[in-house]
Amino acid sequence: MSFLAPLFLLGGLAVALPVVFHLIRRTTREQTLFSSLMFLQPSPPRLTRKSRLEHLLLLLLRCLALALLAFGFARPFLKQTAANDHDAAAAKRIVVLLDSSASMRREGLWAAARQQAEAVLRRVTPADQVAVFTFDRQVTPLVNFDQWKAMPAGDRVGQALNRIGEASPGWSATLLGNALVRAAEELADDDTTKAGGPRQIVLISDIQEGSRLDQLQAYEWPKGIQVLVEPVKARAASNASVQLVTESADADRNADPVVRVRVSNAADAKREKFQVGWTRREAPGFVGAAVDVYVPPGQSRVVPVPVPTNAPGLNQIILRGDDEPFDNSVFVLPPEAAHINVLYLGAEAAEDTHQPLFFLRRALPETRRQAIQVMARPPAAALAASEAEAAALFVVTDALPDDRAALLREQMLAGKIVIFAPKSAASAPTLARLLGRESVAMEEAKPDKYAMLADIDFRHPLFAPFADPRFSDFTKIHFWKYRKVDAAGIPDGRVVAKFDSGAPALLDAPVGKGRLLVLTSGWQPEDSQLALSSKFVPLLYSLLELTGGLTTAPSQYLVGDSVALTGLSGNATTLRIPDGTTVPLAVGSTNFSQTLQPGIYTITSAPVPKQFAVNLDPAETRTMPLSVDELEHRGAPVTATVLVDTATDAKHQAILQSSEAESRQKLWRWLIAAALAVLLGESALAGWTARRSIALEGTPA
Amino acid sequence: MAANFPNPSFPSASLISPKALMSIRNLELRARAVVEGFWSGLHRSPYHGFSVEFTEYRQYTPGDDPRHLDWRVFARSDRYFIKKFEDETNLRCHLLTDQSRSMAFGSVGHTKAEYASTLAATLAYFLHLQGDAVGLLTFDERIRDYLPARHRTSHLRQLMLALEKPAGGTATDLVAPLQRITELVRKRGLVTLISDFLAPLDRLESSLTNLAACRHEVVVFQVLDPAELGFAFEQAAVFRDAETGRTLYVDPAAARKSYVQKLEAHCTALRRICEKLGIGYHRLATDQPLELALFDFLQARMQRGKLVKPVTGQRGSISGTANT
Repeated sequence: MSFLAPLFLLGGLAVALPVVFHLIRRTTREQTLFSSLMFLQPSPPRLTRKSRLEHLLLLLLRCLALALLAFGFARPFLKQTAANDHDAAAAKRIVVLLDSSASMRREGLWAAARQQAEAVLRRVTPADQVAVFTFDRQVTPLVNFDQWKAMPAGDRVGQALNRIGEASPGWSATLLGNALVRAAEELADDDTTKAGGPRQIVLISDIQEGSRLDQLQAYEWPKGIQVLVEPVKARAASNASVQLVTESADADRNADPVVRVRVSNAADAKREKFQVGWTRREAPGFVGAAVDVYVPPGQSRVVPVPVPTNAPGLNQIILRGDDEPFDNSVFVLPPEAAHINVLYLGAEAAEDTHQPLFFLRRALPETRRQAIQVMARPPAAALAASEAEAAALFVVTDALPDDRAALLREQMLAGKIVIFAPKSAASAPTLARLLGRESVAMEEAKPDKYAMLADIDFRHPLFAPFADPRFSDFTKIHFWKYRKVDAAGIPDGRVVAKFDSGAPALLDAPVGKGRLLVLTSGWQPEDSQLALSSKFVPLLYSLLELTGGLTTAPSQYLVGDSVALTGLSGNATTLRIPDGTTVPLAVGSTNFSQTLQPGIYTITSAPVPKQFAVNLDPAETRTMPLSVDELEHRGAPVTATVLVDTATDAKHQAILQSSEAESRQKLWRWLIAAALAVLLGESALAGWTARRSIALEGTPA
Repeated sequence: MAANFPNPSFPSASLISPKALMSIRNLELRARAVVEGFWSGLHRSPYHGFSVEFTEYRQYTPGDDPRHLDWRVFARSDRYFIKKFEDETNLRCHLLTDQSRSMAFGSVGHTKAEYASTLAATLAYFLHLQGDAVGLLTFDERIRDYLPARHRTSHLRQLMLALEKPAGGTATDLVAPLQRITELVRKRGLVTLISDFLAPLDRLESSLTNLAACRHEVVVFQVLDPAELGFAFEQAAVFRDAETGRTLYVDPAAARKSYVQKLEAHCTALRRICEKLGIGYHRLATDQPLELALFDFLQARMQRGKLVKPVTGQRGSISGTANT
């Protein structure tokens, strides 16, 4: 038996106390009145003779409780099992998690991490099983357990080190939680074949503040898997970073073009003055005027960087004045406006402020992100096929000639959307044509006062944005008149909204790949208050999204994000990545997920070369070290923070093994429990003795 | 001394036990019970007629109380004579009673103060019956009550009332009352000092000497509780001084021997002083019958009456006679 804290055994000397207390005869607190003390001398507390130790059993119990406490605090553990532990330690299973996120690019960090990994691997005994993973956004196995087993026993460490040597830090964010969960799962899976034995995750990382641990929160950590943290520390503490601030979608298109960036400075930074400006990849140095920024440590500033008008093709903003360059540049591409054509088929003049067209044009303004063009055509005018092809949405408010209706139906069959909002019941034949039917019953309806939308299907994509109870009140919109359409006449149509009278207000009828939306009342003031309500514009945008023309592409991609490639022809595609190499893409692939480095990616094979910018994850730039406690809070049991020191390594390991054995055996718990039990027994016995002595005193002699 | 154990010559069966006596609440009744029991216990009082004896005729002088004129002599001789007889006391007795708080201690059901008061009352009643004038002075650290010696029934009542006051005071000063009585009482008489004498004796001797020098007859009763005599406690405890409030942790088993020795030394010192000055010294334990005290007192008085010599150094042989 050995002790982790043998000094506590000195507490066992306290056993002497109860013995002394038992030897001292208990003095009464009661005072006895006496006439005069002039002949009396004070007596010293009298010790009873040893043979007259009172309440021997009580004394023994008290001594036992103290001895057990002292013994428990000394943290005993069985050497025998410790030796076994050593054998078992030889059969340890270890997952080495090596951080390869962008923050590990800081000076000296990766070398230190490799050194620590080497130290960990050198400690490994031949019986141990080791897996080595690197992690950033993804977990990449360098050596898994099967490979380790397959390697020749003497060469395992060398091979593993070789693989570590080949690895290098990437540009991705640190999903530490994800990596820990993956490693724990790997160990837990492995456990099904091998019973017992300690399982450890050795985490070699800078454990930066920006590490994401969310996944740990939802994960129930398997029992018996320990995390040993081996932190690596950056040489230069101060770090500043620059990030792109997302532009608001409706920013003024005509204002002077500026790009707003956020410059953040680490809390322990020594520098405060920085410069931000545009640069070119091929020529270092600022293009145009640089912006001076003063950022106190621990704070951040948003800085507008004006876009130089005389130097086109700029796409990189850099930060000067910082020690760590990995997060000092951000790639910006001018936002690309989405072009959507809306074809309006109606008889009215565009200037007529009482007609639907007027409101449609007002509701769809041109912004930086979108250029929506509403083209109005009278129903009778000729319509070119190319025009119809270019339009994403058709709006029909008047009766159409048969050939126009047939053209629209063709477009619908190909996947387009037509919204049919007739001004009068006379347009019923057009509706029938569009639906490909003989006739559809439609009659004019005029409610006494007004009609309201009563029954709305908020699951429909048009109304889905209003599903929240805060926005779902449509009763403020009054409809003065509407066209009563017989929904039964359109069997595959779905009534999305009904008036309070029960008549359908909006019908969604699929036609081929596309769909026909029938709005039985117009939005113009003559028919209803819809155009004047706050719901009108969101409804139109829902409609545009339904056409697929209005995509909400993110303003910037982060390293590791998957980029949706739209507008590609079916031919073989090639892509130029920031370092200049060209990557071929498989035919028909719609996503590109190999965004492994920040920079501008160019799809070279497209008719018009398309570009997108990929930037570093802003979280990755928060390089302040994270407290290891944070891991504990999320449920991962961190047993020790290990700093490699080769001189004290053996001693350290012995202590580590002792503490491991002790924490596994936890003998102190039993000792404390036994002490408590003894104390309970002592209390009971003392109470009984006291009661008995009182009873004896009470009985007359 | 004779007071320390029952006198073998005295019929012990007729004695009233102090416990029974103290159950009588009225002090006067208590005194009467003792005295009457005493009378009935004795076949013949050695003091009978002691104070009723005819002493002398004296020629009347103006200013004398005409009540005392002997009219029969006047009828015979036509002269005025004053007859000194029954109602004229021949003894002035002053009872000096200690009422300090140390007297409030008692382990036998009554306190030393109660015992001392009963003793004083008994003596007063006895002397009153004999027609002597009795005075009283009670004291603790100062003098509390003083009643001059008189012989009247109402005076006896007052005396009893003063004796019935509870013990108080924080110390015992034996010197002040003795000095005071020396100053107050010019005529010689009997001075009885009743106390536990649990106080330093250093100045007591000079005061007693002064008193004896005034030719007073002095009797000292030292009243002690049996617990004080033997320190009969079993448990170690914190003892509190009744007068000063001082506390002391004392283990009786360890302290008893030295205590008894010191107490005996103290009592011996007191007795030496008394013997030296020809003062009668009686030590009374509070569990002793009071009749014994009375008997001792009278016996000593009788011895004293026979004794012609005043304060001399030959007292030892006389006390030896008294002890027989």
